[in-house]
Amino acid sequence: MESKGFKTILVILAVIIALIFITPVFWMLSTSFKSDQEAFTAGIKWLPQVFTAENYQYIFANDGDTPVLKWMTNSLFVGIAGTLLVLFVDTLAAYGLARLDVPFKKTLTSIFIGSLTIPWVITFLPLYMEFRTFGLLDTYAVLILPYSANAFGVFLLYQYFRSFPKELEEAAYLDGANKWQVFLKVVLPSARPVIWTLAIFTFMTIYNDFLWPLVTTSSPEMRTITMGIAVMQQGSFVSSPAKLMALTSIATIPAVLLFIIGQRSFIKGVTQTGIK
Amino acid sequence: MYKNTMKSKITSSLFVLPYLVLFITFLFIPILYGAWMSFHEWDLLNPEHTFVGLENYMKIFDSSSYINNIFFEGLFNTFQFVIYSVPLLIIVGLGLALLITNLPRKLSGLFRTVYFIPYSVSVSVVAIIWLWLLDTNSGLINQYLMKLNLPIIPWLTDLPWAWISIVVATLWWTIGFNMVIFINALNEVSEDLYEASSLDGANRWQRFIHITLPSIKPTMVFVVITSTIASFNVYGQPYLMTRGGPGTETKVLLMNIVDEAFNQRQLGNAAAMSLMMALIMIVISVVQLKISDRKE
Repeated sequence: MESKGFKTILVILAVIIALIFITPVFWMLSTSFKSDQEAFTAGIKWLPQVFTAENYQYIFANDGDTPVLKWMTNSLFVGIAGTLLVLFVDTLAAYGLARLDVPFKKTLTSIFIGSLTIPWVITFLPLYMEFRTFGLLDTYAVLILPYSANAFGVFLLYQYFRSFPKELEEAAYLDGANKWQVFLKVVLPSARPVIWTLAIFTFMTIYNDFLWPLVTTSSPEMRTITMGIAVMQQGSFVSSPAKLMALTSIATIPAVLLFIIGQRSFIKGVTQTGIK
Repeated sequence: MYKNTMKSKITSSLFVLPYLVLFITFLFIPILYGAWMSFHEWDLLNPEHTFVGLENYMKIFDSSSYINNIFFEGLFNTFQFVIYSVPLLIIVGLGLALLITNLPRKLSGLFRTVYFIPYSVSVSVVAIIWLWLLDTNSGLINQYLMKLNLPIIPWLTDLPWAWISIVVATLWWTIGFNMVIFINALNEVSEDLYEASSLDGANRWQRFIHITLPSIKPTMVFVVITSTIASFNVYGQPYLMTRGGPGTETKVLLMNIVDEAFNQRQLGNAAAMSLMMALIMIVISVVQLKISDRKE
């Protein structure tokens, strides 16, 4: 039915759109290898005339002002720790609510799922005050813990566990397994794609968050990379576009790599979890 | 399966307990605490907080108060962003999804990845890339305009350009997510329906209107609501790209709330503004749900 000509037009259109999506990233990379002077000089130069790595050397050498590795480590640590915490508490809670004899099960489930409709802006300032009261501002705790109260994962996994065939669990119980064993050995392995989806969602949310780290951290060594970039943009790098581009290029690499590795399960998971 | 005993119930409760503790500590208590804060005059640096009842809320509706001014100005600016961005997030997202699903199979995965990549970077990277592209004097786009003898455009310092810049950067950054959701929905539309309508002589457009759109309606509702909520929470793009300017034209409500809390240090006012903002968001979500139900 589909004509060849129509397909060709679609492919051309797709290529044009792809160029629009790629150009900003290409321009960032290209600028990062120019000198600041060349970057500012008017004239469209798609590639640096003098190819230089000095911007990268500068941001890595200038440890006091741009502790890039420290910022990256912070972001990765906070992202991974936060994600593991979410996976741990969400899988347990979702399974308990979906399958076990938890007291007040119905009430708890509807409270958790209902909490998804509450805009986070309500908790933003009181959370800040909570951490301030306990002297936990500018620590890893404030950068990790608040993300754990989101019921999104509980909801996703609850849906999944509800549709999981009961027979497999019953067989394990007959073999003498207890609840923990059934959960760990029978149920969890089957949920791997959903868990991956939740992991990628959660990691990206924490790794890329901006406002929360902005208001809850103040010392340079507690910054995440997202925030570090914003601080440099308004501060020392205000007139150093090439250095700024080197910084953003560095920050982009792990996120994009992780994304390309994880995207298959992410996209599959979006389908399986029924976000639709 | 298991005996309905006390011991069994305790074991089961242990599954839910860790989440419950975090839920209470980082969601339930903050909600109550936030409401409590909003009833007080609450200076960040002053340990004494005076109970003022509904005064902070009354200020929002008292036109002689500066709180009224920053709340409604911020709300108006936020609404502008929502109105500009949400339809584009839906239409462009769906458009890209239709394009991807109609490409030859070998190419669709590649292009899907390319369009989705910007979603993985953070807002500060997005802002910096686009600031550099849109810079009035040395930005790539204005340099091309000059080359073509066209007038240069003050992308970030004048209206409506500042909004256009923020919306374009946002689309580039987040459109991949909506696209993936739409691709999933499109893949599940029954082939039989398409075939039947082709036999009836329906053209591409008629098939889209009468089969595709009704089939993906639940996805549409989901995407409309999540895009609206995300657009309401916009902060990083105007904060980093336009500083809320020109003047305060792109200063969104969340920026004013953060200012009131951390620059003016008036957390009571800011908490009241936060609760009002949340209330408005909830009302809008409910209205969107109701409208989508009625069309059934």
